[in-house]
Amino acid sequence: MNEPKSVLIIDDDILYVKAIQTLLESSGYKVRSASNSRDGIELAKALQPDLILLDVMMSERTEGFFVLQELRRIPALSRTPVIVLSSIYSEEPIFRVDPEAGWLPANLFLAKPVDPARLLTEAERLTSGSLEEKGAPAAGRKQV
Amino acid sequence: MAATPVSARENTVFVIDDDEIIRLSCEQILKKSGYHVETFANGHVGIERLKEVRPPLLVVDIKMPELDGFEVIRIVRKIDPDVVIVVITGYATIETAVDAMKMGAYDFLPKPFTPGELRMIIERGFERWRLAREAQLLRHEKEQVERKFVTLVSHQLKSPLVAVKQYLDTLLYTSGAQLPGESAEWISRSQERISEMLKLIQDWLMLSKLDRGALTDRGVSSDIGKIAENIVREYQQLPSAAHVKLSAEIAPGLAQATGDGVSLAMLVRNLVSNAVKYNKPGGEVKVTASGNGQWITLKVSDTGIGISSLHRARLFEEFYRVISPETQNIPGTGLGLVICKRILDELGGFIDVDSKEGEYTTFTVRLPIASPIKEAEYADAVGK
Repeated sequence: MNEPKSVLIIDDDILYVKAIQTLLESSGYKVRSASNSRDGIELAKALQPDLILLDVMMSERTEGFFVLQELRRIPALSRTPVIVLSSIYSEEPIFRVDPEAGWLPANLFLAKPVDPARLLTEAERLTSGSLEEKGAPAAGRKQV
Repeated sequence: MAATPVSARENTVFVIDDDEIIRLSCEQILKKSGYHVETFANGHVGIERLKEVRPPLLVVDIKMPELDGFEVIRIVRKIDPDVVIVVITGYATIETAVDAMKMGAYDFLPKPFTPGELRMIIERGFERWRLAREAQLLRHEKEQVERKFVTLVSHQLKSPLVAVKQYLDTLLYTSGAQLPGESAEWISRSQERISEMLKLIQDWLMLSKLDRGALTDRGVSSDIGKIAENIVREYQQLPSAAHVKLSAEIAPGLAQATGDGVSLAMLVRNLVSNAVKYNKPGGEVKVTASGNGQWITLKVSDTGIGISSLHRARLFEEFYRVISPETQNIPGTGLGLVICKRILDELGGFIDVDSKEGEYTTFTVRLPIASPIKEAEYADAVGK
């Protein structure tokens, strides 16, 4: 068997984290979490996870966006797949951002609550195969 | 008002009068009462200085050579809508004073006047200015509180619901098969109700944004054809839309529509969502878009349950929902069409509905064509 893939969840809603953690663990992922930006960035540096799930609204601000920019500035994390999970996008039925949109270097945006099957499919896709297939954005891509 | 810089100006009075005696006497009387006074022999000089100083109060003579008092009022009102204007009328006819009031003067002072009369009117003018400023500050504060309130509350309302829904989703996904009795059924019913509530909060947030005119952007253009195609494709893959056949027919070379991609996508999505929801099994949803001259016409047609003329008139009212045996189990917030209407109001577009009960409903949207045609920076908001 392969080494289990590791996922880091950065989200200040501890209850929400538990739900996602349970889901991911049921599919064999090793999950760690951080409930604020600073811990999230530190933990990401230390763990070098295979995937990061990132919330946007933390401490009543859009801190997630800054975390994302910050992560991309760290060489070891500049190409780590990141899924932005946020309830600020609850556009029905599915919120999608063009991977080429470039305004934020995330690999994927998903609306909370996320469909379990969808999340697991995307997690699987983003943690396997070559980086090119993931549409991993280059660090420091120009903002639109 | 927020831009007013100096506190020294708070007791400043400008006097514009071609009569030197009036200027001097005003200056003397008002200085004694503690006001800072600047006088000007003609309107041009006074207006130039007013641009820099922004005094709370302006006293201006009506009858002056070159620029008369009316002209001064007209120009000053454009520069500073908040300055309180008092007019001096040499011939104290009511008509002149009334005309000046109509143009935005607050009070008038008939010549000749006593020092007491002048002081009283100036004091009243300052009182007026202070009240107006307080009201404005309060309004500004209220707006900010409201804005923050809506954003925070909606986020705080959503977060627990999102967490609860995620638990239920996870529970059903990981152990749905092992759940006893009707548990799985109950869970999925709970999920549906939570989804409805989330949608309601989202719609409410959108409406409050629209109320502030903050949602749509008239200054940009979007590829409405591509937006419509993307949304149709999205729905074609949705399990909840599997009972209908969706198609899009976009005229080749369709012009760009006025509006940002996000709000236009919301508009189309609301209409397509309705066409799917209020359809019959095996029904059709057709989205067409074409352009001519000034307008892009977008039609969303379904072969659904239709809307009676009775309900059609009230469709665009907030929280209005058609209640009938066919619709009672269809979730909805009663805000979708209101949002569509408001987006179109802001963009200068129109929406109309045609329907026959039991047969079809067609929503026709007219959007102004953007000019000049720009790069559609926002068109991709719905993805590929």
